Amino acid sequence: MTKKAKPVRTARAKSAGIGQPVDASGTLRLPAVTQQVAYPIEALAPKVRQQTPAVGQRATRPDGRLHGLGQTKYIDDMSFPGMLYCKIKRAGISSALIKKIDTREAAAMPGVMAIITGKDIPVNSYGPSIKDQPVLAYERVFHAGDGVAAVAAVTEQIALEALEKIKVEYEALPAIYDPVEAMKDSAPKVHPPSSNIYATKLIKKGDVEKGFRESYRVFEDTFTTQMVEHVPLEPHCSIASWDANGRLTIHSTLGRITLGRTDMARTLQLPLSRIRMVATIVGGNFGGKNEITQEPALAILSKMTGRPVKGTFTRTEEFIATTTRHPIIMHYKTGVSKEGKLIARKVRLVLDGGAYCSWSETTLGKACILSPGPYNIENVHAEAFVVYTNKTMTGAMRGFGAPQVCFAYESHMDDIAEALGIDPLEIRLRNAFHEGSSSPTGQVLHSVVVRDSLLQAAERYGWKEAQ
Amino acid sequence: MTDVTLKINGETRSAAVPPETTLLKMLRENFNLTGAKLGCDVGDCGACTVIVDGMSVNSCLMLAAQLEGREVLTIEGLATPDRLHPIQKSFEDCASLQCGFCGPGVIMSSKALLDANPNPSVAEIRDALAGNLCRCTGYTKMIEAVQESAKAMRGRKSERVA
Repeated sequence: MTKKAKPVRTARAKSAGIGQPVDASGTLRLPAVTQQVAYPIEALAPKVRQQTPAVGQRATRPDGRLHGLGQTKYIDDMSFPGMLYCKIKRAGISSALIKKIDTREAAAMPGVMAIITGKDIPVNSYGPSIKDQPVLAYERVFHAGDGVAAVAAVTEQIALEALEKIKVEYEALPAIYDPVEAMKDSAPKVHPPSSNIYATKLIKKGDVEKGFRESYRVFEDTFTTQMVEHVPLEPHCSIASWDANGRLTIHSTLGRITLGRTDMARTLQLPLSRIRMVATIVGGNFGGKNEITQEPALAILSKMTGRPVKGTFTRTEEFIATTTRHPIIMHYKTGVSKEGKLIARKVRLVLDGGAYCSWSETTLGKACILSPGPYNIENVHAEAFVVYTNKTMTGAMRGFGAPQVCFAYESHMDDIAEALGIDPLEIRLRNAFHEGSSSPTGQVLHSVVVRDSLLQAAERYGWKEAQ
Repeated sequence: MTDVTLKINGETRSAAVPPETTLLKMLRENFNLTGAKLGCDVGDCGACTVIVDGMSVNSCLMLAAQLEGREVLTIEGLATPDRLHPIQKSFEDCASLQCGFCGPGVIMSSKALLDANPNPSVAEIRDALAGNLCRCTGYTKMIEAVQESAKAMRGRKSERVA
């Protein structure tokens, strides 16, 4: 590198007030490292709970223009030379042994470049905590949306036709769909020999039985929520390609690329350094694009054919073969004083985990911790179980179990208020967390504004007038 | 293979496509116009909305072969190199798009609405966007943007808008 003249500040630049280095020829040269500028940070920082000017201001998104122009490139908008299309054969049966997979007729079709089954995947299991999910089911099917074979063909249409020519022989096994039934010893096991209950959590504070004895009245109820699919408008999509040095690149709609990379390394038995994950703008995630799905299969098909392979889920596959929100059966028992003060609360949650663990452990924990609600209760007993069933797996979705329990404890509060003849707002104000309250798990809470929020909301909504 | 000659964004284009090819697929794969998105492939989500002869349609439900001699306007045909279409501008200004995947479809539905009705009520906007799903909850901002662009478009009636 040749030594360059030290940048000097000319009088012109100074007088212009730019303060940028200008070289000998007088042209502006941008410094490699921008000069530090001292901003009056303290003066601009708002005081705690002071209304900032941001509220009420119009904010535009930095990526908004490209979205509006239709120029944002999502994964499905990309293609590479010689790219093949992958389609996955879904089992269509929720619990079965796979006796035989015959791919010969499909493989003989013109335009079909490669077909793989579970046996072609070096380590056919993955998962964020328990590694219980196969990339492609082999030997056993755990739910109807399981993939059993993957085809790479020159067009999507040929790949779809090939799926119909793949013959799979199943031996149906007893299946279980009800999570409460699945907890019984007599229930068929989804992942034998493991128990169907694959994670539990227990939170105890005080003595609930004593609390119930001291209560004026005890209320009991059961609440249930249903399975919910994220339905991002953009379906899952990935493109796998290898370079001549044996390095794998995955363009994917994945939200957690580092986790995905680890799963890829494990399933493909490749060093992490040989895998590159490329994520672009995601067309909606909501927790549903937090883990790999078809990517290892695409990588193997790509390696077999020496061509990039793209896989895009159909809307049907989004519903049957990606994670969903946990349905929870929530049993609440609450003891209250005459004034509506909560004295004891016992909660039992049964989460329907579907066929695989996915993010169930996180969901279980959060649902259980939040299940007593934002209320000061001396005696709490909360237990939660997550159970395998032969259904689409449940995983992360906005709130990780918090919305389900919120529905239950707030409905329960309304019922209690009505039975005691107390205003629903009043019963919440009497019990809500305050500054320094401790959660059922012993966490001391700060910046607690439940009461303020409730009162403000009630005022704006016109709660009193509506009564 | 079926030969199709049509007008896309003002230009005459031709393609030879397999008979089962949808308009959406032809736009995306033959003409590399990837603004229209494949969201459901059954006409539910509206991410593939384009304008055919002045009418907004789900391009996933139309076969490419049906387009012979017709005129298609896609999201790529709205802006000029130096100017955004007023709808695009107000969608940007109002931050109406979050993940953006539904955006091109919503904007095309809005365009079809405003071409037919320069001063739509909120109910009419809702009705026009009923075929476009958004999962990031952007409807309120979208309606604001359509109202704003309607106002802007009425103001500059004499000026040419794409």
